[in-house]
Amino acid sequence: MTPNETPPACPAQEQQAECLVPPASADPAASAPKTTRRDFLKAGGTLSLSSLMGAGALMAQSDDAHAAAEWAEHFQKNYRLMTDAEKAEARVRLERRYSQEYGKPVTVDTTGPQPGVLMGYALNIRKCIGCRRCVHACVEENNQSRGKRPGEKIEWIQVLRMERGKFEQGKMDHGYPEGLGIQVGGNAYTPAGQVLEGQYHYNPEKVPEQDATYMPIACMQCEKPPCVKVCPVRTTYREADGPVVIDYNWCIGCRMCMGACPYWARRINLTNPVLPKEEMNPVTHYLGNRPRMRGVVEKCHWCLQRTRHDRYPACVEVCPVGARKFGNLLDPESEVSKILERKNVFRLKAELNTFPKFFYFYD
Amino acid sequence: MKKIAIYTVILALCGGTLYAVSAADKAVEPAPAAAPKEPVVCFESRKGASDINQQEIKPGLPNVKCSPTTGAALWYGDPYHGTVPMGKMPQMDIPEGKAVVVPRSEKLALMPMCGTACHNGVGPQFNPPTLPKSRKPAPVPTMEAMVPDLKDLQHGRGRIWCMDCHHTTQRNKLVDHYGDPVSFDQPQLLCGKCHGDKLRDWRDGIHGKRIGEFTSTGKKRWFTCTECHNPHNVQDGARNRGFVQLQPEPSPQLPKGMKDAKHELLHPIAH
Repeated sequence: MTPNETPPACPAQEQQAECLVPPASADPAASAPKTTRRDFLKAGGTLSLSSLMGAGALMAQSDDAHAAAEWAEHFQKNYRLMTDAEKAEARVRLERRYSQEYGKPVTVDTTGPQPGVLMGYALNIRKCIGCRRCVHACVEENNQSRGKRPGEKIEWIQVLRMERGKFEQGKMDHGYPEGLGIQVGGNAYTPAGQVLEGQYHYNPEKVPEQDATYMPIACMQCEKPPCVKVCPVRTTYREADGPVVIDYNWCIGCRMCMGACPYWARRINLTNPVLPKEEMNPVTHYLGNRPRMRGVVEKCHWCLQRTRHDRYPACVEVCPVGARKFGNLLDPESEVSKILERKNVFRLKAELNTFPKFFYFYD
Repeated sequence: MKKIAIYTVILALCGGTLYAVSAADKAVEPAPAAAPKEPVVCFESRKGASDINQQEIKPGLPNVKCSPTTGAALWYGDPYHGTVPMGKMPQMDIPEGKAVVVPRSEKLALMPMCGTACHNGVGPQFNPPTLPKSRKPAPVPTMEAMVPDLKDLQHGRGRIWCMDCHHTTQRNKLVDHYGDPVSFDQPQLLCGKCHGDKLRDWRDGIHGKRIGEFTSTGKKRWFTCTECHNPHNVQDGARNRGFVQLQPEPSPQLPKGMKDAKHELLHPIAH
């Protein structure tokens, strides 16, 4: 079809496969055009493809699970378009590969969203003491790269230390521009109260410090996520139960999402991830904490491998002050629903209309 | 000259290898008994007061992983390890077995002594009995030596005293409104006497900490008041929250080429 030709309309059900009208449903698996990538390749070059497939069949039979998996992954569809059979196939392939690679039985979960669940998160910003335990619990759970060299250490949660500013008598004559007295701005230019101008690399002997407040930041799992809007290969998307996830196999590493995210939540594997065998968490989810490869973006997914089976995320479980709360927003009895009902709640950068499902609150 | 040097190096290497082999043989001969591994102890919220022993619950799966830097619990393999049912709590309708706690009594170092040695009320030193007859504060040098925080008890700003929380005659129990004993495993029944708003939030899961299943009907391990807060030390000049200070976990990796994080201390707006 040339670009000038208009796509044919869809008169009958059986012609659906040729129809190029965009799907009405938001669920691409339900309404995607039936022309698959594989069909296209078949039509394009039967000869070269058949030779490739032959080689693939040979390689798939080899005992090297890694090579077979690599090969099969080249022909794998976007996770949202995969049928249940294809998902099961991918799961078996990955489990075999990871088990061989890490020397222990690894499970790759493909559990989908549970009906009636919309995950939500709340964080008591007055409680946080800045101990960074959530940061490191997340690394224990989610198989991030933990090497020593630059770019090899990835952490999804950032804890921001913010100082408490104050107004001072001695600065009454100071103003802005500096040295010219009060012309544009006055003493009130001193950062006072909580400003988003903090330190990530603070390292005192003991926390909490008296002159500081702490603000942990991770993926906010927005209802209108800017990262999803910009992804050119549509590999990152919002799951039906809330979290924004990434199909790592389809990520091309362009980092558009990292630029789009207003919460600095996304990380890229610039190098081959460094994940020692003994530290690897063998309970994984396909869209969650399975080991990533070089050149893909990753981020917090609210521990899908846990939360899809009703368990709290890892960061919630280790917070020594109980500042972190997680629950089902659709259940009025859940912890998060009660917080929204009763406490003073705000969303970070609410003015951007990203509608995060991560809420900050205070007593 | 160079050749000699090379031969020397090779000789030295051979010698080293031989020595290593013989040393290995020696080590094998006496067959050293596999020394029992030092149990790894990490703490949950309060260092020294909420310790947890690391154990293997399944091959390769520890009940808890600890931070190598600070010794803090970082990851729970089994959130219900070592728990018992919480028991009936007023105004909490949780089905039996859905709410569990880790008993604290066995972790309290002075607990076994309190009720037997001095404070059983019948020992010879209590003849005549010296148990306080009123709830008026009186300095007790022995106790102050054992628990230094008592010298200047900040809880209640000097308005409350030991006997407001500890039972008069059963010293390894706490006390409720009516003077009835309360177990050390259920301090919420005591703390809620004054901190009713916090108790209400705790009951609803807004205050405090639970681990396990997040659904409102799921099984959870509840953390009780004293697992996070030290009632003897609630105020301290060097902090501004109701928790003791802790060593933080290591800071994130610096960006490539950056030697330190001093740039973070510079404000973009001069002041």
